[in-house]
Amino acid sequence: MSTIESPGVTISRTGEKGAFGGELLTVNFGPHHPSTHGVLRLIVDLDGEQIKRVQPVIGYLHTGIEKQMEALRWQQGVVVTDRHDYLSPPINNLAYALAVEKLMGVEVPSRANALRVIMSELTRLSSHLVWMGTSGLELGAMSMLMYCFRERDTIMDLNEEISGFRMHTSYIRPGGVFADATPRFLEMLDKFIREMPAHVDEYEDLLTMNPIWRSRTIGIGRLSPEDAKVLGASGPMIRGSGVAWDLRKSIPYSGYEDYDFEIAVSNDCDCYGRYLVRIKEMREAVKILRQALDRLPDGPVNVDDRKMLPPPREELETSMEAVIHHFKLFTEGYSVPAGDAYVAVESGRGENGCYIVSDGTHKPRRVKFRSASFVNLQALERMALNHMIADMIAIIGTADTVLGDCDR
Amino acid sequence: MIAEDLVIEKGVTGGDQWVTVPAERIREALLALKGDGFRLLVFLTCVDHLVDSSREFPARYEVVYQLRDLEKPTDLRVRAFIDGDPPRIDSVHDIFPPANWEERETYDMFGIVFTGHPGLTRILMPDDWVGHPLRRDYPVGGEVVEFSEEHKIWQTAPEEA
Amino acid sequence: MGVEELVASLGDNILTTTLGKLIGWGRGNSVWPAQFGLACCAIEMIATATAGVDIARFGSEAFRASPRQSDLMIVSGRVSQKMAPILRTVYDQMPEPKWVISMGACASTGGVFNNYALLQGVDKIVPVDVYIPGCPPRPEDLLNALMILQERIKAQGIIPLP
Repeated sequence: MSTIESPGVTISRTGEKGAFGGELLTVNFGPHHPSTHGVLRLIVDLDGEQIKRVQPVIGYLHTGIEKQMEALRWQQGVVVTDRHDYLSPPINNLAYALAVEKLMGVEVPSRANALRVIMSELTRLSSHLVWMGTSGLELGAMSMLMYCFRERDTIMDLNEEISGFRMHTSYIRPGGVFADATPRFLEMLDKFIREMPAHVDEYEDLLTMNPIWRSRTIGIGRLSPEDAKVLGASGPMIRGSGVAWDLRKSIPYSGYEDYDFEIAVSNDCDCYGRYLVRIKEMREAVKILRQALDRLPDGPVNVDDRKMLPPPREELETSMEAVIHHFKLFTEGYSVPAGDAYVAVESGRGENGCYIVSDGTHKPRRVKFRSASFVNLQALERMALNHMIADMIAIIGTADTVLGDCDR
Repeated sequence: MIAEDLVIEKGVTGGDQWVTVPAERIREALLALKGDGFRLLVFLTCVDHLVDSSREFPARYEVVYQLRDLEKPTDLRVRAFIDGDPPRIDSVHDIFPPANWEERETYDMFGIVFTGHPGLTRILMPDDWVGHPLRRDYPVGGEVVEFSEEHKIWQTAPEEA
Repeated sequence: MGVEELVASLGDNILTTTLGKLIGWGRGNSVWPAQFGLACCAIEMIATATAGVDIARFGSEAFRASPRQSDLMIVSGRVSQKMAPILRTVYDQMPEPKWVISMGACASTGGVFNNYALLQGVDKIVPVDVYIPGCPPRPEDLLNALMILQERIKAQGIIPLP
């Protein structure tokens, strides 16, 4: 048996006979590849065209986010959390903000919770749109890219209106949100909610009964419910296998228990099932947005704790305490009591969580991101065995891994 | 229920239940908890308590496992403290399959050797990288930024973490 | 390649000046980028290729998957230590003349992240022609950078042989 040692990874050309009498061929799906949804490297052993073994190699986007956050203050860390799962930045912010608030023991006002839900659902829509656009592109349906990014552009305009940024909004911060929603934002959101269901219908028209799409996704990438549970999959990976597990319903946060929506589940256990789950999630997201917008409560958007958030600028002219609070917050930053906390939120990929350890100072001791893509990627081999090499693209697409989330 | 002699300490922080177990008996403890219904490993990580003056810690490295019972659903955090050069603890990849890559990442970032792991190699850093980046005595690195108040602290290994 | 040799054999005269302008016009208006999307900026790069912003009207219709068929590398995203040798390999595989746009703060200078894991700027390993600041830059910023690069290519005309 000859082995090829490449540093850290051993690939063996086993010399055993494949089904058609040949050897197993090892193919490298390099990190620079048009269809791997980012810099993912796969080392695939093939018997003819059948996949016998898949070894994902990750780390090509390792950014040192967890170390970086130990060097930044608590309020500065929000900016860095945006950038790890870059398809859903507000949801990462939410996980971090909830964890910090849990340790500090503060509750944000209900208007802030409603705005947080609005931003999370908008992001879920934007993430699924990017997924659908790029998956369609990879499987040959190039026009999906154009349609989906048109809607995503509207969501980016909404993001820009409320926070000034298109993508990495840093809108949801410990203590509340960055700023209140402007009237123009609420108008734009209303228009968007009214128009979005028709667009989702358009996507379904293009794909759901499309014979090419169906033949490329039905029966591909099967993941049984037991396998999904054992491997720790979450999000559409587990809901596409028939298990109704959604953190927004099971361990609700930010007021999700008050909204009326269904969990998107499919019993198909294959790529087509996960596609149906994501389409349904998009429709449910629009439903939640409508309820959140209609019921948006009045009130402050930030917790009224001067030890955590700066006072309004007008107060600085009259109150000495306000000046001291302002100074302390902008030079040293607030301190979080010692302890640790873990909060998980439901992102487009699954369970994204933030585990923080504080030693009572103004900088974190440890921040760990539980990444849905990292855990879901371990199911790749189970899903890809004995499929053709061309199906590998469909399977990587259905896992919807974001390498920034995976590698942090 | 988990045996009483396995639990060194338990408590609740910010609403989260946690329990400390001896590191040599981690497999026994996790098997017992899995039997109790905590069948999902949510994450596995390590915290380095070098120069943390807020409390007394039994050892430098704290390996943290977050388990979840999907039926109820409840979460439980399991801690184990280890020391050593390199610090060692048993691998639990056969009890909880998601631990496979998480243990590789913890080895890569902290240098903790998980005995019994099928392929403990670096996963995030290049394979020939020297050092374990998330340890507290490893500097943050990067470039020195002039006039930034903390550039001396960032680029050198902290004595006071 | 062949064009430069032909021109060198013709010498310096008005024919080569006009030829230079023609070549510059041709090269500048058909810059084909290699797909090198790494992180968040890649999403905005894809958005530049879609109908709202449409980079295709500037000639960059085809984002080639193979570096051997492209002349522009848009490094969009953060370059980690593990990815750096691969980026250099892909750059080396591109045939001359080639250009590099460094899109975003992370590719230009390391961005928000000043730590062990990232290259503090991709210009440490490849020569960069245009830098785009932003985190991530708007799709229109990428178009602006492409237009700056196009003017430079058109002005360069015939690239003299070494």
